[in-house]
Order: sequence, then structure tokens, then C-alpha cells
Amino acid sequence: MSLLDALPTPRLRWDGRHPNTVLVSLSLIMLAAFWGLDVVSMAPNRIVQGTSYGALEALGWPGALLATLLLSFIGILAWQPSHRHYRALLAAVMTLMALMPVGLIASSYLLIDPELPQARLGLGATYWVVLFVLLLCLIEIRLRLKLTRLWPTLLLCGVALVWWLCATLWLDSLALVQEFKARDRQFLRAIGQHVTLVGAAVSISVVVGLVLAMLMRRYARLQKGAFAVLNFLQTIPSLALFGLLLAPLAWLAANVPLLGRLGVSGIGTMPALIALIAYSLLPMVRNTYIALEEVSPDTLEAAKGMGMRAGQRFWQVRLPLALPVLLEGVRITTVQAIGLTAVAALIGAGGLGTFIFQGLGQAAMDMVLLGALPILMLALVVDAGLGALAEALRPGGTR
Amino acid sequence: MIELSHVSKRFGEETAVDDISLRVPKGKFCALVGTSGCGKSTTLRMINRLIEHSEGDIILDGQAIEVYDPVKLRRRIGYVIQHTGLFPHWNVARNIGLVPRLLKWSAADVQGRVEELMDLLGLPVGEFAHKYPHQLSGGQAQRVGVARALAADPDILLMDEPFGALDPITREKLQDELAKIQARLHKTVVFVTHDMDEALKLADHLVVMREGRIVQQGSPLALLQQPADSFVESLLGGLERGLKQAALTRVKDHMTSMGPTLPAQSRIPADFSLRQALSMMLRDHSDRLTVVDQHDVPIGELSLRRIIKEAQLDKGSARE
Repeated sequence: MSLLDALPTPRLRWDGRHPNTVLVSLSLIMLAAFWGLDVVSMAPNRIVQGTSYGALEALGWPGALLATLLLSFIGILAWQPSHRHYRALLAAVMTLMALMPVGLIASSYLLIDPELPQARLGLGATYWVVLFVLLLCLIEIRLRLKLTRLWPTLLLCGVALVWWLCATLWLDSLALVQEFKARDRQFLRAIGQHVTLVGAAVSISVVVGLVLAMLMRRYARLQKGAFAVLNFLQTIPSLALFGLLLAPLAWLAANVPLLGRLGVSGIGTMPALIALIAYSLLPMVRNTYIALEEVSPDTLEAAKGMGMRAGQRFWQVRLPLALPVLLEGVRITTVQAIGLTAVAALIGAGGLGTFIFQGLGQAAMDMVLLGALPILMLALVVDAGLGALAEALRPGGTR
Repeated sequence: MIELSHVSKRFGEETAVDDISLRVPKGKFCALVGTSGCGKSTTLRMINRLIEHSEGDIILDGQAIEVYDPVKLRRRIGYVIQHTGLFPHWNVARNIGLVPRLLKWSAADVQGRVEELMDLLGLPVGEFAHKYPHQLSGGQAQRVGVARALAADPDILLMDEPFGALDPITREKLQDELAKIQARLHKTVVFVTHDMDEALKLADHLVVMREGRIVQQGSPLALLQQPADSFVESLLGGLERGLKQAALTRVKDHMTSMGPTLPAQSRIPADFSLRQALSMMLRDHSDRLTVVDQHDVPIGELSLRRIIKEAQLDKGSARE
């Protein structure tokens, strides 16, 4: 016991009565974005640059007032946070998200001239900033309320449903919706291709990763070599890897007829799949290896001492205990693959990346969004879903 | 019965266990004591073939252990380790039922046995059956560990410093309960510990090991009366040895019938230890105690003079 211990301790931790500075500042940021940035833009047709509108013009004074009140409400509640206030905050954040398309509907009535069927509404910077900050608020609230990932995910799915309903029923004038309506078949096919590519790449690398990790555990020498190769693969830029695969695969397809008939070619799905697997292997193998190695030696020793055979020890003890960390690897791999698959569009593998590159080519930002938003959504859904699954697999919240 | 004769274990150049021989008769409790790294754990793990011995013979129930299939052998031997080794993803009931399930008992039999054992180890079924190991205190977790080891009713129980990680009070409580369980079940137990008091309290047969060899073995009393060398003596607590010996002796073995003099004020139950009797004499400034039975009826007398005299006699008889 030193004299230092006798000094009064400075207040470092927030207790319940202190303002939650994170949420208060996020609320201020949203208010500033709402009044300072463009809420929507309107263009008479697809080619012309749109005109931007601020909060009062886009929503009228009742809408702007309501939004301002809701945004300030977050800051006020966060000033004296309690468990009840956090629940109210959760409700407020969800309400704001659900009201976003309603704001767009209001803007379309206020701004779009019914005489101009080609006129389209673009989302302004305000929407993106507020949406992003609301998601940050959600993370903070989730941590304070000690919720698992499952509930916020379910609530967000509800919000997404509201958006979808509003978009299909009342938001014909939204540029994003118009881009979608112009190519809905193509859009659905692209999502299908995207999900198939990601699914195939991830499931193959899960199997290969498990086998490789198990081999590494048996043959220590393999471990260094394999990690070196996988690390090297990870450093090649994705576009370069697609390019590198072009020549050898084209040669193989031309000279080995069987492979050609199986769909191997220089461009298209096969090289994209190979590259995706190459990138997926490192996070997959690394997590699987660590997951299997991390299992407590005491537990395994006990399993052996109790008379479990090697197979029983692996399937009943080592694998189930490794599963949460292993699933974490699947989550990282899948989210990474969802993003990388966008690039695969460049070598003709299809997927949502097609819209991004077409949109970039035509300088049609709404078309880029049509590709980019679903990719973002897919990544978020997979991230939350697999994260929740990994959490659920930890019995009683161990580790 | 477990019999080791001239058993050695070498890891490469190093000899972990060097030519040890020992015999644990059926139903007896044998404690292996020594400082860390003396080979006591290795010796234990050779018995259930977690480590294969290099030389000598290990005989279990008249058969060399090489004859048994290691997996089937381990299912017949209860095994308890220091950090419990409970499976964190299984609840208490499932952990305890492990070996019976490996032996393909019916679900009803497994459940019946699990409840019986939880009862034996003082774990209320309703409260604990569905808890996970991380929800248990250290003492509760090791109770589950012992229950798991006893689940398939093995004849042999191997315990590797089972109470080493517990706080002193919990440790003592579990030692008492283990002694009670052993008095009821009569397992053949090999118990590894570095805590001499624990060994003295529980063991019928005590084996002191150092650098892979057995320095001395015998009954706790024999070792206390006649330690083979200064190492054993220091393990036994040096000057405290006399009191430790007294702790192993019952009052009733040293009492005399009531004398003609007035009975002493202080009373002591007959099944208390001499150590407790000595403590009471010091406390009450008395060199005589009245010994009573469980109904507090005087049945004899204990005098300091007699305790000291008989201690000398014991020493003489141990020498022979």
C-alpha cells in the first residue's frame, strides 16, 4: 500500500449520469449535415446534371421541423442516459431510419413536376451521412444495452422491408428505382451470379482451409511454407491476379479439351472463382488453424484420459470448441469475397460489379449505386448473420 | 491392484522416472508426493497409458497394461486432473455422463448414474445439471471432475493434483469429502500431490519421489516416525513432524480408564486426534483431559505424560 493509493481517484469512467458524449456529438453531426448539406437532387432526365436542394426545399417546413426534432431528441436523451433512455434511443434511431424513404416521398411530391415523366430524384449527401451516423449510433446503443447482434440485425431487416415497400409503391421517381426498373431481370441475375460466386468460393475454401489447417497441424514443416505462399497471394492486387490467370487458363482450355468442356477459360466464371478462392484461403486457413490450436490442452488431455478415441476427440471436443473462432474466419472471408467479386465483373464473370463498371463508363452514378448498395447490404447481412451465429455457438457466453 | 516393478521412462536422453517399484493393493489409497518435476505425474500417466513406459512392468489386475487396448483401459480408470479439464461446451450432466456414454450405456442408465453421482458429491441436480463449467466455482467444478471420473464405477482412480488450484478452505472441504467417499467406495486410488499435509491426511500408503526415484515409501505414520533422509524430513515439515504425527493418531488409542482422581474439566471426544488434544491442553492450561463418547458421557482419561511416553514406544516399535 503506497501513499498514492490514498489519493482520491480521478473520475475516468462514465457512470450513468454523465452525458453520453458519443451519442450527443453524433446527434450534432447529423443536425449539421441535415441543415448544411444537400438533402436531394433533382434532374429532368438521366443525362442532365441535377439541381441540389436543402432541407427546407426538399421536405417543406413541417418535414424539416420533424426531422430536426427527432435528431435533437437523440442528443437530449443521450444527455442523461439511463437504461430506459437507451431503449428510447434505439426506438428513435429505428424510427429515423424507417422515416427516410417517407422523406423522399415528400420530396418527390414537392419537387417533381408531374409534366416531366423522365424527372428523377437523387439522394443527397445528407441521406448518406445521416444513415452512416445512425448506424454508428446503433452500434453504441447496442453496446450500452448489452444486446447481442441478433436484435439490431432483425430490426434493421424490418427497416429494410419498409424501404423496399416505399421504393416499390411510391418512389417511382427515385433515380435508383428508375435504374432498377430499366433492368430488373438483369439485376436479379447479377445478384444470383454474385451470391453463387461468393458461395462457391467460400464453401470450397472452407473445405480446403480445414484440410490444409489439419495437414499443417500434422506436418509442422508444411505450416511455414503454406503461410508464406498464402501471404504472398494476398499481396497481389486483385486485378493483377485476374490478369495473371488469363494466359495459363486460356492455354489449358485450348490444350486440354476436358477442362475446356468443364468451363475453364481465360475469362469468365472460372478464373474469377480461382482468384476468389486464392484470396479466401489465407483468412480461412489462418483462422481455422488458430481455432484448432487454441483449444485448451487440459480439455484435450482430459478427453484422452477419459478414453475418447482420436476421432471422438476431434469431432466432439476440438471442433465444437474451435467453431466460434472458425466461424469468425468464415465471416471475414465471406465479407472479403463479396467485395472482391465486384472486381470479377471486369473479366466477364458477371455479378453486381457489372453495374458499377457500366455506370462508371456511362457517368451514371445512380447505376453505380444500383451495384454498390446491394453489395454493401449483402456484406452487412452476412457479417451480422454469421457474427450472431458465432455468438450463439458459445454456450452460456463462454470466452 | 496396481503393481509397478522396475519401471523407467526416458524422454530422449532424459530419464524422467528411474527404476521405480511400488504396489497399491485393491481398495488402498496411495499418494505420490514430491517437488515439481520429480516424475510423480509421469508415473501416474503411465498407468492409464497417456505416457508409455520405457522399461519395466506395469501390472493391472494381474495383466501387463500393454495387453489392454489403451482406449478401453482408460474407460475403466477414473482420471481427475488439476484444472478439471471439463468440456466447456457441455453442461454438468453431460460432462459427468461422458464415460458411460462412451461405454454405450442406455440414456436412462446414464441419467440415473449422473443423478446418483451429483448426489454423492453434494451437487443438487436441479441447480447444477444444466449449468456450464464456466458458471461454477473452482470447488464445484472439481466436484464435477471427480463425479465424471467415478461415473462408470471404475475400480481404479487416478488423481493428478486435483485440489492444487483451490483455495485452502475449499481444498480442505473437498479432501474431507474425498476421504468419506473413499471410505464408502473403496477404490484403488493413486493420488499425486506436492502438499504433504494432503497426502498424510488421505493416504494409506505414501510414496516420496525425488528426481525420478522413490526416496521412501510406507504408511504415513512410519514415514513420520522414521524419515529416510533430510529431504523426506523437510517435506514432512521438520520440527512440525511431531504434531503431524499426533494428527494421525486418535485420542481413543491413547486414553486410559478413569483414574481415582477427580476428572479433568476439559472434555474431548474420543475420535478427535491427539493433535487436537494437545492443542486443547495448551489452551486450557491442563495436562489432563476427560475423554467422552458421542453422547458426551465420560469414558476415559488422557494425560500428557502418557502421550509422550507412548510416542517413544511407537518409535521403538517402528524401528523393529
